[in-house]
Amino acid sequence: MSNADIPLDPEAETQPDLFQQALLLIAVCVIALVGNTVATDASVMQGLVGLIILYLIAMAGLLLTHLVPVNLPSVAWISLVGIVATLPWTPGSGWLLERVAHVNFLTLATPCLAYAGIAIARREIEIAKASGWKIFIVAVLVMTGTYVGSAFVAELFL
Amino acid sequence: MENTKDILLDWRLHASVLVITIIAEAIGVIAVPIGIGSILLLPLLYAFVMGLAINPNVLRKAGAWLGQREVKAASPLIVIAIMPFIAKFGTIIGPSMEQIIAAGPALILQELGNLGTIVLAFPVAVLLLGMGREAIGASFSVAREPNIAIIADKYGLKSPEGAGVMGVYVIGTLFGTFIFAILASLLATAGVFSIEALAMACGIGSGSMMAACSGALAHAVPEMEEQILALAGASNVLTYATGLYLCIFVALPVTEKLYDLLGRKEPATANTGE
Repeated sequence: MSNADIPLDPEAETQPDLFQQALLLIAVCVIALVGNTVATDASVMQGLVGLIILYLIAMAGLLLTHLVPVNLPSVAWISLVGIVATLPWTPGSGWLLERVAHVNFLTLATPCLAYAGIAIARREIEIAKASGWKIFIVAVLVMTGTYVGSAFVAELFL
Repeated sequence: MENTKDILLDWRLHASVLVITIIAEAIGVIAVPIGIGSILLLPLLYAFVMGLAINPNVLRKAGAWLGQREVKAASPLIVIAIMPFIAKFGTIIGPSMEQIIAAGPALILQELGNLGTIVLAFPVAVLLLGMGREAIGASFSVAREPNIAIIADKYGLKSPEGAGVMGVYVIGTLFGTFIFAILASLLATAGVFSIEALAMACGIGSGSMMAACSGALAHAVPEMEEQILALAGASNVLTYATGLYLCIFVALPVTEKLYDLLGRKEPATANTGE
């Protein structure tokens, strides 16, 4: 995972343990519930039920991250749990989908980006200043490369 | 890390995020039409900007409200906060599984084309622009939310790699719809690729990018509109399903290896004498 050539950041974040993650996830879900109520027509109750289900999916994914000795990031486990839980042939998937339908997925990303904005450290601002216009050029090339690459491979196999 | 109580009791941090979320969602999505495309402004973008605006490292005045302690506490919360989003996305992919299987090998294999960013963007970033490790985060993927999650998980968003992926993310969020609309309409009229291939490629980015891209395609070839939207939609779902694993197991390791070959050494190791 970690390369020896990465200088050890004295401010390096230690990962919260499972219990801490469970508590912080509740705090995040409460914020998401408020956001969802503002953003969508869903009632607080509908949003709450949907978020409880998403909370349980996330916790199941976190548990798997801790228990399964395969080095997969927690987000991969969480998406996997979400997929398996809602496969058409999974019992109860229809009921589950109806409940989570009241939670808007773009709204769920909003608190995350707020934390990300607050978490920016001095060092990152220095990086951004150093490569501001460069990152713009790279971003345009990233999008062009990904689009043309995908179209090219699709063309080969059509 | 301080104990859990401390993080939870960082009430100024969580209260700030709560208020930011409310304001951002109250504003909602704003589309700014510009010629052939439109720039989409999303709540999560306002949230990022507002987060920056109260960051004491960005605006010194903000130091009266938030200190370095809150800034530090916000870091592990980025990954926690993306978890409900990732869970929700899983529930979007699951129900479409049959559709994805039926869509055939072209749809699945075109995911490999996402590696095109490494071919085009990475050499320019490292060799022409002289970027450091931020080039890894910037050019390993199209830098949407799941890709940010991967980088956050592996390097942390406070790392150079994190700065790279956030940089491209911000540019993509601001101008992505515009760039994809231009690309789609240009290539549709150029006739190099079939419309089906271009439609599948529309699914590589975010929902709004896909909308702009397939919208532009459908505008160019109106008689194929339904087919274009179906292929783009399935591909978009697939991007989130398999794209995540392609990024973790192929794109990121390949970019890392290429950086070892082409990249400049970090200052910490540069003094080994080369």
